[in-house]
Amino acid sequence: MELLKQTSLLLWKDLLLEVRRRDSLLTMFFFGTLLLFVFHFSFDLPPDKVAEMAPALLWLAFLFTGTLGLTQLFQVERENHTLEALLLSPLDRGALFLAKSCFNLLLMSLVELVVMPLFWILFNLQGWNLLPQLFLVTLLGTVGFCVLGTMMSAITLRARARELLLPLVLFPLMIPVILATIRCMEGIMSAEEVGAAGSWLRLLLGFDVIFLTVGILIFDQVIES
Amino acid sequence: MRLVVERLSKAYNFLWALRDFNVELESGDLVALLGPNGAGKTTLLKLLVGLITRTSGSIRFDGPSRIAPLFSRPRTGLLMPADHLYDNLTVRENLSFFLSLYGYRCDLQMIDDALEEVALLDRGTEFVGNLSSGMRCRVSLAKWKLLQPDLLLLDEPYGVLDGSGIDLLERFLRNLVENGGIVIMASHHVSRALKLCRRALILKQGRLIFNEVKRQPWPSFDRAFGEFLPQGEEWSS
Repeated sequence: MELLKQTSLLLWKDLLLEVRRRDSLLTMFFFGTLLLFVFHFSFDLPPDKVAEMAPALLWLAFLFTGTLGLTQLFQVERENHTLEALLLSPLDRGALFLAKSCFNLLLMSLVELVVMPLFWILFNLQGWNLLPQLFLVTLLGTVGFCVLGTMMSAITLRARARELLLPLVLFPLMIPVILATIRCMEGIMSAEEVGAAGSWLRLLLGFDVIFLTVGILIFDQVIES
Repeated sequence: MRLVVERLSKAYNFLWALRDFNVELESGDLVALLGPNGAGKTTLLKLLVGLITRTSGSIRFDGPSRIAPLFSRPRTGLLMPADHLYDNLTVRENLSFFLSLYGYRCDLQMIDDALEEVALLDRGTEFVGNLSSGMRCRVSLAKWKLLQPDLLLLDEPYGVLDGSGIDLLERFLRNLVENGGIVIMASHHVSRALKLCRRALILKQGRLIFNEVKRQPWPSFDRAFGEFLPQGEEWSS
């Protein structure tokens, strides 16, 4: 109960600061949109390749956009050494992990809500009715990304070239999550592989649960080291 | 409550920032932590509040906390004059956030009373980022007034405060130790720190070279501190 109370307090603080600063969400939104336009001018999506290519292209955009958000995740805690102020308090470190993960999840979901329909419009794709299912799968993939990303962002917090280091340590670890999400989306988009989507979805859920549990348990070691 | 520090050491790579530091402090102790730049003062403060990990040694709090045992560890505070506040939150929002973080009920009247004491009641709705360093230090002061830590550490608090701010700070510290708290203040304003403190510690190159309760006159302190003065200057406590 105390964990949830502290998490909501920290999340409220982060959201309030984001509303006032507007730096992370706007940057992520414009970068995501920009990537879509770059893809639009660089690729043609033949109708028979849509199911294969669309999820991969979308996730490429989400991955880069999300990483941009992750580099800013602890920015407010770096200014004025407020991370020290948080660590001085009797705060459960797991609450800090949960709050940062939820905050990043919220930002990424908002960007995805705009980017996904825009992708459909730009590439003139059919199957608008699949978007809600695809968004739910993307959301599960985003949970994995945010949870693991928060952990890696905290690990690289004190590194000198953290903006460069973060993708280098994060992307290899993200492979299972990205693979499961993309395969699951492919399954939904191509009617023949719907059965396979179920097993990828279970795998994705498994990754989310494992990363989240491990994160809550070891975040105190990560943030205090 | 007693703070017992035994053989505390901290090394950064191959450099010892603090070595074999021993001290025992009791409720009511107000300690001036002195020494030249790079002597290990800030390292010691950060070790005591647990912001950095020690290389060896131990830090122990004996006896009951003077605050209701809400939390598993004694409540320690670190007052960095212009730090540890969110620029894009207002003064009141900062205070209410930290009150909630420490498990207190967020009482707006309590916050206003604390702000009134530090003469910032009319600045409550201003963003901390718009305040001067001195005013931010006053906000930090209000924060620790509200949180009432068992052990309060201060790093160079005098640098940014004006005359009335210094009065406020010293009154707060005296009040804190009278109510059973322990205060350790690192400062280069030696005369001010000595006037306030009950004990002085001097660090030199990471080692504790002086640890005595204050007395008048204090020739041993004069001798120990004399070597850090600029050439040609003399010191007398």
